[in-house]
Amino acid sequence: MRGDKKTKLLAKQLFKLSLRDGQVSSEQVAGVLGYIEQAAPRHALALLKLYQQAIVIELAKSHARVEHAGPISAATLQLIASAMTKKYARPVTATAQSNPRLLAGLRVRIGSDLYESSVAGQLTTLSHAV
Amino acid sequence: MSTVVEQIEQQIAKLSSKAVKKNTGTIRAVADGVAKLDGLSDVMYNEMVQFPGGAIGIALNLEADEVGCVVLGDVSQLKEGDEVQTTGKLLSVPVGRALLGRVVDALGRPVDGKGPIDAKEFYPVEKIAPGIMVRKSVNQPLFTGIMAIDSMIPIGRGQRELIIGDRGTGKTTICIDTIINQGRINKVGLASGDKSFRPVYSIYVAIGQKQSNVVRTIAALEAAGALEYTVIVAATAGDNPANQYLAPFSGASIGEWFMENGMDALIVYDDLSKHAVAYRQISLILKRPSGREAYPGDVFYLHSRLLERAARLDGKGSLTALPVIETQAGDVSAYIPTNVISITDGQIFLETDLFNQGIRPAVSVGLSVSRVGSSAQIKVTKQVGGKLKGELAQFRELAAFAQFGSDLDAKTKAQLERGSRIVELFKQPQLNPLSIELQAAVLWALQKTYFDSIDVKNVVSAANSLKDYLTSRKDALLTKIRNEAKLSDEIEAGLKTAADEWKSTFAAQ
Repeated sequence: MRGDKKTKLLAKQLFKLSLRDGQVSSEQVAGVLGYIEQAAPRHALALLKLYQQAIVIELAKSHARVEHAGPISAATLQLIASAMTKKYARPVTATAQSNPRLLAGLRVRIGSDLYESSVAGQLTTLSHAV
Repeated sequence: MSTVVEQIEQQIAKLSSKAVKKNTGTIRAVADGVAKLDGLSDVMYNEMVQFPGGAIGIALNLEADEVGCVVLGDVSQLKEGDEVQTTGKLLSVPVGRALLGRVVDALGRPVDGKGPIDAKEFYPVEKIAPGIMVRKSVNQPLFTGIMAIDSMIPIGRGQRELIIGDRGTGKTTICIDTIINQGRINKVGLASGDKSFRPVYSIYVAIGQKQSNVVRTIAALEAAGALEYTVIVAATAGDNPANQYLAPFSGASIGEWFMENGMDALIVYDDLSKHAVAYRQISLILKRPSGREAYPGDVFYLHSRLLERAARLDGKGSLTALPVIETQAGDVSAYIPTNVISITDGQIFLETDLFNQGIRPAVSVGLSVSRVGSSAQIKVTKQVGGKLKGELAQFRELAAFAQFGSDLDAKTKAQLERGSRIVELFKQPQLNPLSIELQAAVLWALQKTYFDSIDVKNVVSAANSLKDYLTSRKDALLTKIRNEAKLSDEIEAGLKTAADEWKSTFAAQ
């Protein structure tokens, strides 16, 4: 459900209201949700979906998902988080997620950027090159 | 075996353990060959996007919250949530001599079953047309081998000449004849060892054509020995609209390689009406605002940026474009025909009525024009055919009046007689282009009234007999006309002797 133009515009405005200092604020989000519940705008479901999508995309920009095949230490995670914080000039948190299909190495996903340093990724590149 | 292992080892050596940054997104929706994507925050306009399963796409709509992308390849395997990646590359096609004699798709991949193409270079599909300073005026001829065109609507190297007409009026035939003629000229020129000879390589782009028609075209070119100088880019009616939209741009890139490497090339876009339709389809699916006849607002820019890539470059080669437009019931004032007419340097208009009267090629002399070609016409053609267009126009005007009355003065009768002979003489069977020297000789005979005593209905056979006579017995004279490219006293004397000899043998038959 994509919603019409007005719904899209409203979702965009509500998303902007959810930010404080360029970051998604839980209090602001709670306020926005309260407004939606109270005002019950037209196409509320479509609006909520669009709003949720925008928030998810924004949150993903501040969160590094580190996929790993072998063990990963907390220190490594912290190192990745600080490196990303520096690179993107915004506070970035990192969480680990085991993915045995990588065979070895790491894959870091932040927003729509992907940092590939896994054996599986290199094998894919090799298969495309040959 | 060992070579394969070495290749893999080389590739492994190239791989580094450094992290590679990629920009990714996910498929939100796929419909009618167009995918809507989330993410891809760094994607560039017209960038290639890698889909799972090897399909690639081109990012055409960059919006605030989604990317619209046309998919080139099999869309049936794609599903919502699949991950896509940017490639950092603009869509490119292989270019070079290795493509000659081959049939490729819109992405330059071979489709003729003759194995892979060993291309050393790749050119981007979308390229900015050459600027003003690097261009040179059109002053070298490109012979189509069609007498009506070469004598009255001449085409120069680097020109864009539109071929326009209803369905079944012989538009493609003119293009194929022109390509065949380039093949013949190339063979003669390259065999002569003349270092100043510049061959013309051809690119035929089939857009939205029936596959059977493309097969027929390939067979015709192969039979005429012209395929070895030709590249065929096929985006047939069965291909998705994205491929049909890209095919002419791919063809232009292939042609540009010849132009930028000091060679001359000819490109045929057959046809741009179907190209516009494919682009309209993509644009509507991408939800771009539609305008007149539901075409998007940038359909003029689509064709102008394509046709502007045809040029003659200073110190380099040239790319001549023959775009084809199919009209509906002869309506040249429709949206796409008027657009392309205004972009090109002239048009050859083919009329259904003429075609049905048996006048083939059905070139309408009144509506056809070549804006820059006359400066490219060689002297001999100007000498023998300079007045033909005017005479034929007068004939058409008088012929309309002649239907109503029998009392015509001698001058009008003479004009009608002459006009009807010119019309007969310009009749030419398909796949049979004539060399420029033979055209000049026949037109010289017409100018010198050799056909005046022949009955109108016998003019075609007389002209054929003269052509046979000249090619079989006066080869040296024809070579001289070709080399000198003008009517000297010596050549005229030779032509007179030959024509007198022929006339006496023809009269005796």
